[in-house]
Amino acid sequence: MKLLKPTWVNHNGKPIFSVDIHPDGTKFATGGQGQDSGKVVIWNMSPVLQEDDEKDENIPKMLCQMDNHLACVNCVRWSNSGMYLASGGDDKLIMVWKRATYIGPSTVFGSSGKLANVEQWRCVSILRSHSGDVMDVAWSPHDAWLASCSVDNTVVIWNAVKFPEILATLRGHSGLVKGLTWDPVGKYIASQADDRSLKVWRTLDWQLETSITKPFDECGGTTHVLRLSWSPDGHYLVSAHAMNNSGPTAQIIEREGWKTNMDFVGHRKAVTVVKFNPKIFKKKQKNGSSAKPSCPYCCCAVGSKDRSLSVWLTCLKRPLVVIHELFDKSIMDISWTLNGLGILVCSMDGSVAFLDFSQDELGDPLSEEEKSHIHQSTYGKSLAIMTEAQLSTAVIENPEMLKYQRRQQQQQLDQKSAVARETGSAASVAGVVNGESLEDIRKNLLKKQVETRTADGRRRITPLCIAQLDTGDFSTAFFNSIPLSGSLAGSMLSSHSSPQLLPLDASTPNSFGTSKPSTEPAAVAGTRPAGNSVNKDSVNATSAPAASSPSVLTTPSKIEPMKAFDSRFTERSKATPGAPVLTSVTPTAVERLKEQNLVKELRPRDLLESSSDSDEKVPVAKSSSLSKRKLELEVETVEKKKKGRPRKDSRLMPMSLSVQSPAALTAEKDTVCLSVPAPTLKLPMPGPQKAFTLQVSSDPSMYIEVENEVTAVGGVKLSRLKCNREGKEWETVLTSRILTAAGSCDVVCVACEKRMLSVFSTCGRRLLPPILLSSPISTLHCTGSYVMALTAAATLSVWDVHRQVVVVKEESLHSILAGSDMTVSQILLTQHGIPVMNLSDGKAYCFNPSLSTWNLVSDKQDSLAQCADFRSSLPPQDAMLCSGPLAIVQGRASTSGRQAARLFSVPHVVQQETTLAYLENQVAAALTLQSSHEYRHWLLLYARYLVNEGSTEEGAAEGTAASHRAEPPLPASLHRMSGTARHPKG
Amino acid sequence: MAKVSVLNVAVLENPSPFHSPFRFEISFECNEALADDLEWKIIYVGSAESEEFDQILDSVLVGPIPAGRHMFVFQADAPNPSLIPESDAIGVTVVLITCTYHGQEFIRVGYYVNNEYPDPELRENPPPKPDFSQLQRNILASNPRVTRFHINWDNNTDRLEAIENQDPALSCSLPISCTPVKGLGLPGCIPGLLPENSMDCI
Repeated sequence: MKLLKPTWVNHNGKPIFSVDIHPDGTKFATGGQGQDSGKVVIWNMSPVLQEDDEKDENIPKMLCQMDNHLACVNCVRWSNSGMYLASGGDDKLIMVWKRATYIGPSTVFGSSGKLANVEQWRCVSILRSHSGDVMDVAWSPHDAWLASCSVDNTVVIWNAVKFPEILATLRGHSGLVKGLTWDPVGKYIASQADDRSLKVWRTLDWQLETSITKPFDECGGTTHVLRLSWSPDGHYLVSAHAMNNSGPTAQIIEREGWKTNMDFVGHRKAVTVVKFNPKIFKKKQKNGSSAKPSCPYCCCAVGSKDRSLSVWLTCLKRPLVVIHELFDKSIMDISWTLNGLGILVCSMDGSVAFLDFSQDELGDPLSEEEKSHIHQSTYGKSLAIMTEAQLSTAVIENPEMLKYQRRQQQQQLDQKSAVARETGSAASVAGVVNGESLEDIRKNLLKKQVETRTADGRRRITPLCIAQLDTGDFSTAFFNSIPLSGSLAGSMLSSHSSPQLLPLDASTPNSFGTSKPSTEPAAVAGTRPAGNSVNKDSVNATSAPAASSPSVLTTPSKIEPMKAFDSRFTERSKATPGAPVLTSVTPTAVERLKEQNLVKELRPRDLLESSSDSDEKVPVAKSSSLSKRKLELEVETVEKKKKGRPRKDSRLMPMSLSVQSPAALTAEKDTVCLSVPAPTLKLPMPGPQKAFTLQVSSDPSMYIEVENEVTAVGGVKLSRLKCNREGKEWETVLTSRILTAAGSCDVVCVACEKRMLSVFSTCGRRLLPPILLSSPISTLHCTGSYVMALTAAATLSVWDVHRQVVVVKEESLHSILAGSDMTVSQILLTQHGIPVMNLSDGKAYCFNPSLSTWNLVSDKQDSLAQCADFRSSLPPQDAMLCSGPLAIVQGRASTSGRQAARLFSVPHVVQQETTLAYLENQVAAALTLQSSHEYRHWLLLYARYLVNEGSTEEGAAEGTAASHRAEPPLPASLHRMSGTARHPKG
Repeated sequence: MAKVSVLNVAVLENPSPFHSPFRFEISFECNEALADDLEWKIIYVGSAESEEFDQILDSVLVGPIPAGRHMFVFQADAPNPSLIPESDAIGVTVVLITCTYHGQEFIRVGYYVNNEYPDPELRENPPPKPDFSQLQRNILASNPRVTRFHINWDNNTDRLEAIENQDPALSCSLPISCTPVKGLGLPGCIPGLLPENSMDCI
């Protein structure tokens, strides 16, 4: 055994309360008291292990220091995957840290020593629930749960997959809870508290399994922590501070019946911490001696207030080693290396000791498979040690296991894809923003930064964004928010927000369209976006911006930001979970084709130029995010083959694929043979179902039930329509099968086979004899007394059945769906009988019956919407409360626009112009939709904006006057301040 | 934990004549998009003896702030010499940069500032009435004192609106109410306590 006290591991003399070695053994974390805050430090392990590394100046010792805890940190614990670090402290918080991969070294601002953080660990979650100091945290063996205990007498189980969700709060302790340990098979969690009890809780229902008090009856005095530990084979639970015959012990509790017959004796003061070696050992087999195979045993380290450390093997009656006087103060925490041969011990005196054992001393560690086998044979399952081979064969007992399996598989894929990407992207982002070096930016920052005045006349600076974050939980936040914020396709949203479920989502087409999205999972689907296969009409050869990054492409005034944007994006996508790997089985022809496309179409400048004129025919890939991701990967493989291609192209690649030049298309036909010329639009038709229920409204509660072919009368099968409105029910029968139904507060209508449409009042009276549609029904919709029918031949009709007039007569959707693989993602019928079509490219059209025209009322890719910033003009009460058809169609894209705009550092004047134009559009759209409420809202907003902006710019005398009137009187001091601000001397 | 952490404050144009504006280049990091603006203030401590001589040089709103790293330059005019007690004009004082979110201060960065005559002649024989045009301001940029405060970042939108509504009134009352400046964890705020040579190292 070797013993080392690395003096450089310290918190400047302040106590170190916790230590934990990273599962990969390359680093370890310490937690304790900082200057005037809590402190978490991540240290490099190699200088501890090797003397050469310790002396090497180039090898950093400290990797990262986090001063974010407001008070002393009591516990630091790595997740089993090593991805996260959890820390809990006296500030009642638990922080979960994750490494940020691309932001370069930085210093802790204001810390006396200017030590650089070599690694960046970023707090990704803050868990607040405890009302007192957090004493211990513990990750469950499968990393799905994080447990924390506190002096508030509770243990909280957090959902580690979905922070900060709390799964359970375990109440029962009547004293400060000071230690936690999970059963290695994940069935129990044990906690030890000052209330002289050790409690074992079931993870199945989070209820108390047993409470053990006897060994603790005599326990007086208090220790700072009571870190108990469970043996890796699951058989034994060893407590911290217990008493036996007035002597301090570590109580051994057997899993079988929770018996307390044995203990570790010898320490002169209370045991503060017990830590089992993660390995199970067996006797070292000496060469030649054919000893009988001995029983596997465990190894356990015990630290005490008496400043000594003992290491025990469960096969020996006496400790393997006892080290006295290791520290000046109580031992606080112990951590084993994953290989089981080293331990780090920390103490209240602020120092750390490292013990290095040899295999001769401890024995031969069992492999993970063998360990898992022990678990399997003893408990029938193991959450902790799931090797790849076992994943597929393990018996799944509960949903947790299933989830775990999925995640595990996903992670493997992620890792592979991450590696694949890593090789492709060497571009460093650090220090370069918008194509300028940070230095350049800093020189001109004062001149360039956008400064405006708020409505009340205060200076407002828009800071320059110099880096995006790349934490996992952030991945959906910004870039996706632009196309998504207004998206109504719920399924699309969900597919974004739950990446691990992607494969499932992608196979369920979330909207109907001119073609069923191709769902073949294989390479074909991966190489081309869904729906692309029916790309019949020739489209402009220039490619178009796609939903994924409209903000990047729609501001032609600035070109430079693209680089930064793209690199950021790709960097970030690295962190995005759930990207499946496609080992490409791609026909090379397709690949070649794409490369052509790349070369031909994807010079970003071209793209920008074309984006303005291709506005009309921009068919944006409605490919689900899955296919996008697949594409990305695909592109990467292509890219790798073509060296020297600028990285940014890859981002644009997937978009170009959604639109192809005729030439490319023919080429593609040859290779893939999926393109079918389809001269007319054909919308999907609902197939006959046996029965279905449709909720029309919840208040008043109204629903329609349909049962097809319920009874046969004289050889004719009848279908039953049942309608229930606030408990009142009526039903009727129809002679043909009902395909789809719709209802409103005034009418109920059903479309049957043979193109029949029947309309009933809500009381069940048939309002009309069946209407014969020109072609089979695709979608049926009712609002008030208006009935809208969209047929499979893409014609739209709207009738007012009460007044018995036609509002829209068989209007074709050709003009809005023309020439691309767009689909209708949502249909809306306003109260005034105006139909609104939301298309998959983010555009929305309403049909204006009086002019017989389709009017564009919303466009997600609208650069105006992206740049408009009228936030300052929003009325104090939440303006977004304004609801109506326009709001439904456009969604509530409130902040993305502003942010996108400012990232391009658009000059204020330009932003003003775009905002004005945007507001004009909104007013006109609201008017066309006959949405009076929204019209009023936007008109007011428009007026307010004019007034506000008028006051900051010269001219617009009325505006100034108006805003002055609106301004409250300012005290003299503020007047002075704003005065100086207005006329800066420098 | 704070949603916003200050990464660095660079003191620009230092040292500089007394009357030239203060310029701080502030980089900060935000770990999730903020619903509202941050408010930054520069406060000049006119006299170590009393808070009444504190001057708020400027306050500015900064936003919008999506998650990420950001930077901006905060420029504020030099303090008004007439508000500085003559006895405190020369020597060491403090300039503070504070940041508040929803009216709650979460960080305070303090710098020692040394005002002295660069001219040795004047230094030896200072005029009875301080000549501010001759004074040089030297900010001890290498040694910021950072104090962080725990605040509530998670206001729901309702409350947030309420605060926004009150904003004008709130900011009006700030110059009066926001004077708990002095102690600020700056030991040795009193000029004499700071060894003179500490300034020389800049």
